[in-house]
Amino acid sequence: MRKIILLTCLLSSMVFASLNVDTTYSTMGTVTKKIGGDLVNVTVLGSPKYDPHFIVPKPSLLAKLHRADLLIMNGGGLELGWLPPLIRSANNAKIQNGAKGFLDMSHFVHMIDVPSSVSRGFGDVHAQGNPHYSTDPYVIPVMAKAIEAKLAELDPENSLVYKENLDKFLTEWSSYLKTFDAKMAMCKDKNVVQYHELFNYFLKRYEYKSFGNIEPLPGISPSSKHTIELINTMKKNSVKIILQDVYHEKKTAKFIADKTGAKVSVIPHDEKAVKDADTLKNFYNTIADRICQ
Amino acid sequence: MKKYIYLSLLTFSSLIADTELDEIKQQLKAQQTATQQLETKLYNLEQKSTNTSASFSQNAYLPDMALILNMSALSRDVKNSEYENFAIPGFIDAGNGHLPFNKNRGFNLNYAEFAIHAVVDPYFEAFANFHLHPDEFEIGEAYVQTTSLPYSLRVRAGKFKSHFGRINSQHQHSWNFDSQPIIYKSLFGPDAISDPGIQLQWVAPTDTYIMAGVEALQGTNGRSFGDTESNNLYVGYVKSSIDIGEDLSVLGGVSLAHGENTTNNPTDVYGVDLTLREQLGSYSSLVWQSEYLYRNKELISTTDKQAGLYSELVYQYNNNYSGGVRYDLITKNDTDLSAYSGIDSDNLDRYTAMVEYKPFPMSRLRLSYTYDRTKIIAGERTDINEVMLSLNIAAGAHGAHNY
Ligand SMILES: [Zn+2]
Repeated sequence: MRKIILLTCLLSSMVFASLNVDTTYSTMGTVTKKIGGDLVNVTVLGSPKYDPHFIVPKPSLLAKLHRADLLIMNGGGLELGWLPPLIRSANNAKIQNGAKGFLDMSHFVHMIDVPSSVSRGFGDVHAQGNPHYSTDPYVIPVMAKAIEAKLAELDPENSLVYKENLDKFLTEWSSYLKTFDAKMAMCKDKNVVQYHELFNYFLKRYEYKSFGNIEPLPGISPSSKHTIELINTMKKNSVKIILQDVYHEKKTAKFIADKTGAKVSVIPHDEKAVKDADTLKNFYNTIADRICQ
Repeated sequence: MKKYIYLSLLTFSSLIADTELDEIKQQLKAQQTATQQLETKLYNLEQKSTNTSASFSQNAYLPDMALILNMSALSRDVKNSEYENFAIPGFIDAGNGHLPFNKNRGFNLNYAEFAIHAVVDPYFEAFANFHLHPDEFEIGEAYVQTTSLPYSLRVRAGKFKSHFGRINSQHQHSWNFDSQPIIYKSLFGPDAISDPGIQLQWVAPTDTYIMAGVEALQGTNGRSFGDTESNNLYVGYVKSSIDIGEDLSVLGGVSLAHGENTTNNPTDVYGVDLTLREQLGSYSSLVWQSEYLYRNKELISTTDKQAGLYSELVYQYNNNYSGGVRYDLITKNDTDLSAYSGIDSDNLDRYTAMVEYKPFPMSRLRLSYTYDRTKIIAGERTDINEVMLSLNIAAGAHGAHNY
């Protein structure tokens, strides 16, 4: 009897070998692969080389969304500018907001920088708090657990595999975090400025202090008045590190660097956003290598 | 800490009298109670801070709303009174044209649009946009659409802009140029194909995006259809898109609209559209978009065969600036042109160029120059020069960006 059950389990796991999982960004996609292994087909919708707020809603993404059993999104308003019409036109009941195959990762993360009042007069602010939590390596286990629970819910036959993969991954990640924290503990200079508030979760985790942004308001291009103010602030507080992302113009950062003697560091906002950040660990290693001075 | 206290108490107990020990025990107990009370208080406060919503507030269910304002300052080398009686030979007779946007030299307030979107329940979402023109209220669109149908299907019902072709379903303020392509204006007028009806769309379960749709519409559009004794218009289309590498994408479609015109005879309009988009960066792209429309309109004893195209190239330089050119051409005009005898009505075409500046994501200034060679003004073929500065504001809920 037992043999039969085992055989059936084996067979059914072979028949239902794969869940199609779409993730909006790369980091979540890789965590999903870690948990799902061969049982999931992961498609990342948003290219990590572009601004995550403005992924081009190419119609080819509709085909990808249409075939998905599960859509894992970042949430917190990050996909507001591109994903809703795609979900509407993909004609896939499984991944509609509220359906079983829809996972908003921001519901599991403690959001920081939640504004007490919101107005477009302050620019294109994130009304639900800062959604760029992927830069914090401590968020990875949170993601992994949420993904494991969701995969087990959608594919209960393989829940033991997902649990096993999760346990293995969590052990591996916690030892990685120890070495990573040790590396970050060596960093002396903790004063930075950034282009957009992309790195706040990382900065908060490792006790950095951000003295301002190159963009005067969220989503608004730099102005000379604001740039000069920023230069003065940086001089006063001897800020020597400028955190530049991969997708914004780099002229302003270079100009500020010339005036202040600070160094421009291009920091990936997502796994694979730069060449060195090719794996999950290398994503955080690259952030550390480029921020740590 | 607790251990220390007990330990020291124990030491004390051997030294001091029993009564004193009891006293200390009582004090300790009192302290414990006080701590417990504080903890309960803290817990209650925490509970409070997470739930302070008013019992009957429905704010969380408010629909997404946006206000869109569109206006312009315009200069044209034709008098307003003559311009509004324009004709496009074979398509629009003098006095028959409708000019809802940018009609006058000087200032124009084209419309204030109020757009609403709401999720109705787990199965439907509703959209509406109301156009408020200076002297007219119009329901631009109002429809419900399914979200969770099986078999890759989606149904829309209400009044909506048909997905015929590429530009037909888009609103005026999301076009790359302020003016409507001549072939659309000629065949359908400013509202294009926009009717009460139902729509069914299906997405193929393939790796390549393929979508097919059919629509049954009332067919109120008098330029091509207009026999509204019963619903007379049927639209069908297939659209597909492929990516060539990561940054170049191609979207193409073929469409057919089959209806009955005001002479109770059939009209068929065929459309082909092609869009190429090369992404040069997050905020930079090159888009080449073209459409060709062909109309076969049977009349009582003759058949009109007319066609035209537009082709536009738009370069988005960065967040703030973009520019583009468009060419409009009537390619075929087999119809009764006897009313225009003695007037040159060949080679109807138009050239448009624009530069656009977006100081903020929600506002757009666009300067355009148009050289229009499609119109008959006051009985004479007249080349029209037009310079326009338009302003478009979108306040409130974000409309997601167009492809
Ligand atoms: Zn952001």
